Amino acid sequence: MAKVEFKDLRVSFGALPVITGVNLSIPDRSITALMGPSGSGKSTILRVLNRLLELYPEARVSGEVYLDGQNIFDMNVLELRRKVQMIFQIPNPIPNLSIFENVALGLKLNRLVRSRGELFKRVKSALEKAQLWDEVKDRLGAPAGKLSGGQQQRLCVARALAFEPEVLLADEPTANLDPENTAKVEALFLELKKEMTIVLVTHYPPQAARISDYAAFLYKGQIVEWGPTRDVFTKPRHELTEKYVTGRLY
Amino acid sequence: MTAERKAEDITAVRMVINWLGLGLFALLGVAAVVPLFLIIGDVYVKGIDAINRLGGLWHFLTELPPTPLDERGGIGPMLVGTLYMTALGALLGIAVGLPLGVYIGEMRKEKFANVARAGVNVLVEFPTIVVGLFVYAVMSLAKEDLNRYLLGPISNTISPLGEWIPWFIGPLDGFNAYAGAAALTLIMIPYVALITASAYASIEQPLREAAYATAGREFNALFIVLRKAVSRAVLTAALLGTAKIAGETAPLLFTALGNLYYASFTGPTAAVSLWIWYAAQTSYEVQIDSAYGAAAVLLTIILTIFIIARIRG
Amino acid sequence: MLGFLLVVLLIPYLIAAYGLLFVKLRWGLRLFGAFIVATIGLLTAMFLVEAYPIIARDGVAVFFQTRWDPVRESYGVLQALTGTVLTSAVAMALAMPMAIGVAVTINEILPARLRGIFGSLVDLTATMPTVIFGLWGLFVLGPFLKDAVNSVSRYLVGDDVMTSPYTLFTAGVLLAIMITPYAAAVIREGYALVPKPVEEAIYAVGATRFEAAFIKLRYVRNYILGGFFLALGRAMGETVAVAMVVGGNFSRFTTNILESGITISSLIALQFPNAASYQYMVPALFAGALLLTLFGLAINAVAIYIIQRGQI
Repeated sequence: MAKVEFKDLRVSFGALPVITGVNLSIPDRSITALMGPSGSGKSTILRVLNRLLELYPEARVSGEVYLDGQNIFDMNVLELRRKVQMIFQIPNPIPNLSIFENVALGLKLNRLVRSRGELFKRVKSALEKAQLWDEVKDRLGAPAGKLSGGQQQRLCVARALAFEPEVLLADEPTANLDPENTAKVEALFLELKKEMTIVLVTHYPPQAARISDYAAFLYKGQIVEWGPTRDVFTKPRHELTEKYVTGRLY
Repeated sequence: MTAERKAEDITAVRMVINWLGLGLFALLGVAAVVPLFLIIGDVYVKGIDAINRLGGLWHFLTELPPTPLDERGGIGPMLVGTLYMTALGALLGIAVGLPLGVYIGEMRKEKFANVARAGVNVLVEFPTIVVGLFVYAVMSLAKEDLNRYLLGPISNTISPLGEWIPWFIGPLDGFNAYAGAAALTLIMIPYVALITASAYASIEQPLREAAYATAGREFNALFIVLRKAVSRAVLTAALLGTAKIAGETAPLLFTALGNLYYASFTGPTAAVSLWIWYAAQTSYEVQIDSAYGAAAVLLTIILTIFIIARIRG
Repeated sequence: MLGFLLVVLLIPYLIAAYGLLFVKLRWGLRLFGAFIVATIGLLTAMFLVEAYPIIARDGVAVFFQTRWDPVRESYGVLQALTGTVLTSAVAMALAMPMAIGVAVTINEILPARLRGIFGSLVDLTATMPTVIFGLWGLFVLGPFLKDAVNSVSRYLVGDDVMTSPYTLFTAGVLLAIMITPYAAAVIREGYALVPKPVEEAIYAVGATRFEAAFIKLRYVRNYILGGFFLALGRAMGETVAVAMVVGGNFSRFTTNILESGITISSLIALQFPNAASYQYMVPALFAGALLLTLFGLAINAVAIYIIQRGQI
């Protein structure tokens, strides 16, 4: 059974349809890339999966989404978000909170730790995994807004990893990063996929080709093609897919 | 197993706290608004009843106020005074507040503009009684000389032209309608200025550049081309400011003082708000009733202006 | 002569300012700016001049004395100052929670369609004439509070603690209702400005709506502080409504909020009509006005500073 299953997902914002019938299976412990031109609905699919779409009251969702066989709309949303974490395209730490508090926030809210010592351990381990620990260990109390862009993004990665989530949703996480930070994040994902399922939205086909195991090509709210990355890139079945992966479609 | 159960319990507790907490916020929010309904209800119920008992609406709006022994009365002089002083105050307030707002909104880079802006911010919610006291102080200082050198000669020259002239122009008493209007103007200016300033400040740069490019003179750019962009906010400011000063009492206490009769604007002048202040604190029922009637009239004026501003804005 | 010149020069000044708008726009605008700055300066100067007689005679004792005795020409505004502090404290304690409640209710709880109406209701409360608040306080709120507080106290200590409907407490409650919209407007504005990415981050880490509201309130704490000072300035300066319900106790110094009292602004309003008959009362009242001016300037300045600093 796949880790995540989408069955006939449809999403519209008011009268405007954005996702028009998506069926997709996301296998466990792998990186699945969602790629496609702007406006194809990739970010929307991600936000369905952790029900963050509910912050947009104009959004109407129909269809079914299963996590380990359980319908996510029947689950308690807090329980869902403990298992499914998200990294955003533009780093969004909470700027007035300290570096430590940003990572600790989710753990404290959800009572995932039982002591200050345990909290510190988990925050430290998350920051280490995100490769930020060495740079901030002496100033954990500094406000998060003072970090550089690349550091802020790694902070957000640490924030997500602190949950030890089962699924990590990444919405174009390296789009605003320089090549060095991009490489760090990509290396991190390759490590993390051994422990969790990663769904990566990317605007940049070469990134999907580099690190993903499975790739889905989304065009105007529909999945045009989906399969193991190597197949999608070297033997695409659809003309649209071929145009996209060779950079002739945007 | 137990870990799962504990997690569920914690979530359940958090959800309960969520509902209780949001409920508390909602309660506090509603508590802020409930008195409004209570007050409007109280004023209209007692006020309309009072107007009926004191002689019906038309009489109430035109007759002289009741003495303690009367059974009927009205707020005629008060209405006239309020209308006159509010109109003057609003016109002058907009006349000065608008350019002031343009100055602090458009010329933000100047140091002096920031000083002026600070001044406006400080004045906007200044205790209104202090403003009235200030006008009183200036008035008492200037009165004699003003009457002797300016108003006396003027009124001697032009009053033969019409019987109505001494009602408006002439030597001023220590308490008069113009002092009242001046105090109201000083209250209105910062209010209009601030809203105008933020209206101009929120014009997007491309639009501003286009206006400057096509208009030639800066005056044309700011006041004619950009007029449409800011007119809505400025109109709202004008309307709401007028509503605000129509209801003011404290600034009129030492400037207009109040009057029980139709009298010249160069002397103590009546106002609806002043009448409510005086009449409510007497121990005579008929006067307290007329205070409620006056309050109902005042409230209606202000509600009307408010609703117009909300619909057009 | 000075006053005469002041008034007479005002009209040419404004005409010149207007004229300049058409010729040299920027200078014309600057003249309007100068007008407002000069007004504040003039105001402070005039009060200093008017209050001078009593400050010359008593020194700063006028601010620390508690006796207001016109017959003996001995004036102290300390009890008025205390009254201002006490009523403002009661008002702020009640108003801030309500203001925060309004901000959260509008932004988190109400559906989009009701937000505008609710917001307008709050704004309308701010536009209501203060004398009508006073009228309602005089005949409805005062008696109600007296009955309510006394029934509670009868239950707790077996006695009535509030002997008059018109006390510092009544004034404080009435003030709270009047100043809440001011704080609420500032907090509302800040709360709505919380960026969407930050909001998404807060919910993505699994916050309930209540928890998210708290985190957002922390984020906008500058606005909360700014709203606090704005409302405080308003509370300290409010005259008419307070004067109608505070009880007019000039003679006895009290710190018991359940007793009648007086505030600086209501002192000025209620005693000024008498003041002409006495030699030093007018200066004493102007001394009180000077105090009020300085408070008003200081508090509003702090409020603006806090709000603007948070915006950068």
